[in-house]
Amino acid sequence: MDIAPERLVSMGYDSCAASCGRFMVLDRDILEFSCGISGLHVMPLKTAFEVYPHVRENLLFGLIPKDKNDFTKMASRVDPVGYYVRVEKGVKIADPMQAAFLFGGAHQDQLIHNIIELEEGASLDIVNGCANTHAGTSGRHIGITETYLGKGSSLGYTMIHNWGPDMEVYPVGAVQVGEGARYLSNYVSTSPVKRIETYPKATVGPHASARYYSIIYARQSSYFDTGAFVALEGEGSSGEIISRVVSEGGTVISRQTISGETKGCIGHMECSGLLLAENGVIHSIPELRGKHPDIDLSHEASIGRISDEEVSYLMTRGLGKEEARSLIIRGFLDVKIAGLPDRVKVIVDEVIEQAMSGKI
Amino acid sequence: MSFLEIKDLHVEAEGREILKGVNLSVDAGRTAIIFGPNGSGKSTLLGAIAGLPGFRVTRGDILFKGKSILDMDIDERARFGIGMAFQYPPAVKGVRLGVLLKHVNSDGNWVQTSAEMLNMTSYVDRDLNVGFSGGERKRSEILQLMVQMPDLALLDEPESGVDIENISLIAQGLRVMLEKDKPISRRQRSAIVITHTGLILDYIKADIAYVIMDGHVLGCGAPGEIFDEIRQHGYKKCTMCFAEKYRDMNTQDLEK
Ligand SMILES: Nc1ncnc2c1ncn2[C@@H]1O[C@H](COP(=O)(O)OP(=O)(O)O)[C@@H](O)[C@H]1O
Ligand SMILES: [Mg+2]
Repeated sequence: MDIAPERLVSMGYDSCAASCGRFMVLDRDILEFSCGISGLHVMPLKTAFEVYPHVRENLLFGLIPKDKNDFTKMASRVDPVGYYVRVEKGVKIADPMQAAFLFGGAHQDQLIHNIIELEEGASLDIVNGCANTHAGTSGRHIGITETYLGKGSSLGYTMIHNWGPDMEVYPVGAVQVGEGARYLSNYVSTSPVKRIETYPKATVGPHASARYYSIIYARQSSYFDTGAFVALEGEGSSGEIISRVVSEGGTVISRQTISGETKGCIGHMECSGLLLAENGVIHSIPELRGKHPDIDLSHEASIGRISDEEVSYLMTRGLGKEEARSLIIRGFLDVKIAGLPDRVKVIVDEVIEQAMSGKI
Repeated sequence: MSFLEIKDLHVEAEGREILKGVNLSVDAGRTAIIFGPNGSGKSTLLGAIAGLPGFRVTRGDILFKGKSILDMDIDERARFGIGMAFQYPPAVKGVRLGVLLKHVNSDGNWVQTSAEMLNMTSYVDRDLNVGFSGGERKRSEILQLMVQMPDLALLDEPESGVDIENISLIAQGLRVMLEKDKPISRRQRSAIVITHTGLILDYIKADIAYVIMDGHVLGCGAPGEIFDEIRQHGYKKCTMCFAEKYRDMNTQDLEK
């Protein structure tokens, strides 16, 4: 396959790094999948239909209605391309699983459907990388992901987007977080994509938690309409949505909703935006809904520019203006995510470092 | 020609004249102290030397190593040998102290030694000044300067708000930076130290002191004596005596 290894690394898919399993798709073809640990199952979704009937009967379009939008309708009419990942009861896996979805331009639309199932007490980290094989290809990527987290399980789900300037991307995601389970989503997009629209939803059970972190660096003429919806349905459940958005000329609409529906729900969201250019737009729409008196929901939002005082301060130490600015921007994007394994953090840092180097 | 020579310096901030004709010089290897009440223009003077935005030089000149630095940008001045410890340094979220230090000086051993000396090793992984107490910020400033090793250190109230234990740590850093353990004739690095309280004088010997009031240099002299006078009579009462006593000396200085 003609994709440069650096490009794979820049989307978090490092063939040398330790991983418990792999899955790689180019256009509509599954190029490789493997699984190196007992208790973990990684296979094409189509294969899973044959091996585990419940996947088709209960899980497929179990969280996302087939007729939710044009994309889900399209996806429901074709054979699915994507992974089925399952971790058996009580199995805790330290090394992350790596998945890559590459768009080579063989077809105008790339339709992906993934299903993740963690049984009671299981834990897993998945790093998904998405990119064009070549920056020039144009088309649409539609990625549907349905995630089922059993009681007390824990999933860290990192998504790294490195799409080219002519790509439109429409991920549709839904997660059911079972009692006492934990879901951590960590999203990074730094490349000059044309358009990304996504509004994943987590339904959070009793004493469970869902956290969405996103880092978006919007290049000139990129358009993002992204966010997350957290429905705190179980007693004592909690949710968090944190986003850091930088615009050097692109438009970012950041929608965040937390709905506290029962007793003891705790929710917090934070959206910080940094505008680097006059033609950039950041539109932050934080929304809180409370449906029970005994809940605690809060949000913070800010949009600003790089502080001149901070730039001057760093310059007094001998750093050039651009060096000082990029250090501050890099710092702004450095979200400290509790519970993110070091191995994954290293991948994410590397991706951001690569994206920022020489480009600002 | 002095190492640093400030001539008839007029500086405006937000349209208001703050410095109204300051003359001052510092020789290589010497430490000058600046005394003056709050709001007299001490920080403005250091800001103008460092080239911070917001301070507009409307008249006069600043010569460093024989060259006017007025047209240099902040970072150029820094690379030319000017360093500054801020009175109120900003906090910079996401930028770790250690990362900045690496950008300032690639000599990892020296960074480590400096951090140890200032008891700051556990702070290098923290965001720059974020959540630092007053005293920690001052230590962080001195650490950054030690790593930078400027030829001219501008120290804006390095001891204010710092407890005694930490003052001695800071002073130790300054002694190294200013080569205080070498004989006077062999010292190269200079400093201007602003002090409101004079406390730092118990730790760092200065060679000369200037008194600034209302944007003017009233005079200069031996640091200990001037400080005693200020302590005894306060700045207000001193105005007169300085004005008379040091006027001659000041002009002589300039002529030299
Ligand atoms: N950036 C600024 N904009 C407007 N006024 C300023 C600014 N910086 C200082 N000043 C004013 O200049 C005067 C001198 O301030 P400063 O140099 O900080 O005094 P000192 O350090 O001696 O206490 C004060 O009246 C202060 O309010
Ligand atoms: Mg001051």
